[in-house]
Amino acid sequence: MSSPMLETRKLAKIYDDGRVEALRGVDVTIEAGEYVAITGPSGSGKSTLLHLLGGLDTPTRGEVLFQGSELGATIDLDQYRSRHVGFIFQAFHLLPTLCAVENVQVAMLALNQRANHRAERAASLLEEMGLKERMRHYPNELSAGERQRVAIARALANEPSILLADEPTGNLDSVNSAHIMSILQGIRERRGMTLVIVTHENEIANSAPRHIRIRDGRVEA
Amino acid sequence: MASQLSFTGFAWKNLWRRRLRTLLTLGGITMGIAAFVALVGFSRAFEHEWMRMYESSGIDIAVVQTNFLNSTLDQSLGAKISSVPEVAQAVPMIFNLMDLTPDVNALAYGWLANSYELDSLTLLSGHRFRDGQPEVLLGDLLASNLNKKTGDILSIQGKDFTVVGVFRGGTALEDGAVILPLDQMQIIASMQGKVTAFHVQVRPAPSGEAQDRYIKKVSTKIEAVMPGIRAVPAAERAANNQIVSLAHSVAWGTSSIALLIGIIGIANTMAMSVFERTREIGILRALGWKGRHVILLILTEAAGLGVAGGFLGIIVGWGALRLLSTLPQTASVVSASLSPYHLLESFLIAIASGLAAGAWPAWRDAHLSPVEALRYE
Repeated sequence: MSSPMLETRKLAKIYDDGRVEALRGVDVTIEAGEYVAITGPSGSGKSTLLHLLGGLDTPTRGEVLFQGSELGATIDLDQYRSRHVGFIFQAFHLLPTLCAVENVQVAMLALNQRANHRAERAASLLEEMGLKERMRHYPNELSAGERQRVAIARALANEPSILLADEPTGNLDSVNSAHIMSILQGIRERRGMTLVIVTHENEIANSAPRHIRIRDGRVEA
Repeated sequence: MASQLSFTGFAWKNLWRRRLRTLLTLGGITMGIAAFVALVGFSRAFEHEWMRMYESSGIDIAVVQTNFLNSTLDQSLGAKISSVPEVAQAVPMIFNLMDLTPDVNALAYGWLANSYELDSLTLLSGHRFRDGQPEVLLGDLLASNLNKKTGDILSIQGKDFTVVGVFRGGTALEDGAVILPLDQMQIIASMQGKVTAFHVQVRPAPSGEAQDRYIKKVSTKIEAVMPGIRAVPAAERAANNQIVSLAHSVAWGTSSIALLIGIIGIANTMAMSVFERTREIGILRALGWKGRHVILLILTEAAGLGVAGGFLGIIVGWGALRLLSTLPQTASVVSASLSPYHLLESFLIAIASGLAAGAWPAWRDAHLSPVEALRYE
């Protein structure tokens, strides 16, 4: 039987010298191709869980397994983030000195790919996001919805198997939110990717077949 | 075709983002390198000119006082030096630096009228001076700076001297010099019976013995007959000459301070730039950039500043050296030539300065956790 795409075992994260216990022994399993929404009130630990699943941070106790291998032990975290995971953030986090097509390429700079391949792939992803005419525009020249689409293209640049989104519609109006969600779901269906979204919006949470509810650092039954 | 983003292109965009700060930093490192190029270039050119002068005048050994910057020896020691069988000639001489006018400095030599050193000079006009007469020879560069020609009168230390000839030597040190009869120089310098050095020509080396080995052997013999004096082979004298050593020390000291200021400028720029971009570095780490990629990016930016500063610094420094070589106050001791070694050295120092200045900010950001960097305000 094959290992799940992601699995956590007794995952705990403590901040500020023990004063903040963000996660207290979380066990979750996410299969390949699943679409999962992580929900919970503010400060419940849902973003912390997403960061640990994505290898952005290391747990205080417990472990995160990717296809059965422990992150940080048998899989290098940098390599995991560059090859297997794509991140989408609420604040977009585009680099202001780079235009849209360069922002997508920057994700590929860490891998040894040819420059023309990087440029072609970035252009093709932006075209897929409906931004063909906006490739040379800088983040401050793009609308919030366009910026998030550039961020999605960047997350897909290295063809990851997992897409992790932290409140991806948090800074968008309802029209752009719906557009971004339809793009994310379309990507997951076409590419068979695993999609994990942290959200506090019921509408988005309800669009996912499976919820993981977090409260006070624990998974609710 | 979509624009391609390269690693260096990314570094350049980061530098260009804060143009004024980048340009000011560039100005700092440029001035540091320019000071190094000009000052160290000057001191090396000075040493080189000494070497050429010794070579062209046929001096094999300089006999000087052991410890003092201004060497002073009794003229009577000449006979003792000449008693060494391998010595062909030992001529006394006085060397000094003089303010001939408020604007014109010159190297001044006191030589005997029959000194073999005069043989290496080409007289452009006039004739040699005579011992015991208030007569001088002027190098053509000095003559031009003083606007003097053969037959004119030149006042030195309140005494009038007739310019009896204008010569061209093999080096700027000679072309910018005034040469007086030794006895006249002793009078105006209050050095009666004293000389600065003896310049020795040795007899031909015995067959089978290398010339430099032979010269060293003769130097040792001279030192043995006259304790307390130094007999230095001419090639070493050019490098170890106290004036050249002083010029080297001042040049290295001053340019090191200028370089340090340049390095602090780059370090400040890199530190500020990296702190401002902490969150962006977090984004790069989130995208899978390894710590070494972040280090490489920051060091590329710092080295870029070093390369540009080095390039501009060399141009400015060389310009300064050229200017010095044309000024009457300095023309006699400065040549505008720069060796390829010195240029390469300056360029490497500029790059190394950039890398040293970028090292700490690079190391700091490479070791930040991505999530910590992303939360940075």
